[in-house]
Amino acid sequence: MNTILQLLSSKWMGIISTLTWILAYFIARGILENDQLSEGLRLVVALVPIIPFALFLMSVLAGIRELDELQRRVHLEALAIAFPLTMLLLMSLGLVELVIPLSPDDWSYRHVWQFLPVFYFLGLAFTWRRYQ
Amino acid sequence: MKNRLKVLRAERDWSQAELADRLNVSRQTINAIETEKYDPSLPLAFKIADLFGKKIEEIFIADHGK
Repeated sequence: MNTILQLLSSKWMGIISTLTWILAYFIARGILENDQLSEGLRLVVALVPIIPFALFLMSVLAGIRELDELQRRVHLEALAIAFPLTMLLLMSLGLVELVIPLSPDDWSYRHVWQFLPVFYFLGLAFTWRRYQ
Repeated sequence: MKNRLKVLRAERDWSQAELADRLNVSRQTINAIETEKYDPSLPLAFKIADLFGKKIEEIFIADHGK
């Protein structure tokens, strides 16, 4: 069990699982945007990135367990920044949508989710500065 | 909270990285404690005190005015 945890929390595992997930996402998106597959197959393709994401998530959780107390605190504070920013973004988009019809080509879920990691990294950068 | 970590570390001629290794924390954590930007948890404070062979209150001093 410890060996699995060590493997998952290793730096390389984190990088590999992140790259695999991102690659799977863009491949799936490319196929779904261009190919003319049956709806059933398209649904399978749309859900395939869940598999590498599960690996990525396990790697993140194992990595968090390896962090020391300050590093955990930094990540917690980054989440405390990212979460309300995400709420604000979704709330604002919801309200703006009542005024201006937002184009699904620019403001669908597949576009909006990308703001979440950006908010998280902004939170990390902001929080790390406090402790440096 | 004020602390004497930097002085104690210097007395032993340890680098921040070396102290971090001995305490099993990151160098950034040692730096944050030394610059008094972060107060360690009680378990870590005990670990630091044990490492230097001192009581916690000989290393960490409450800063009531802060």
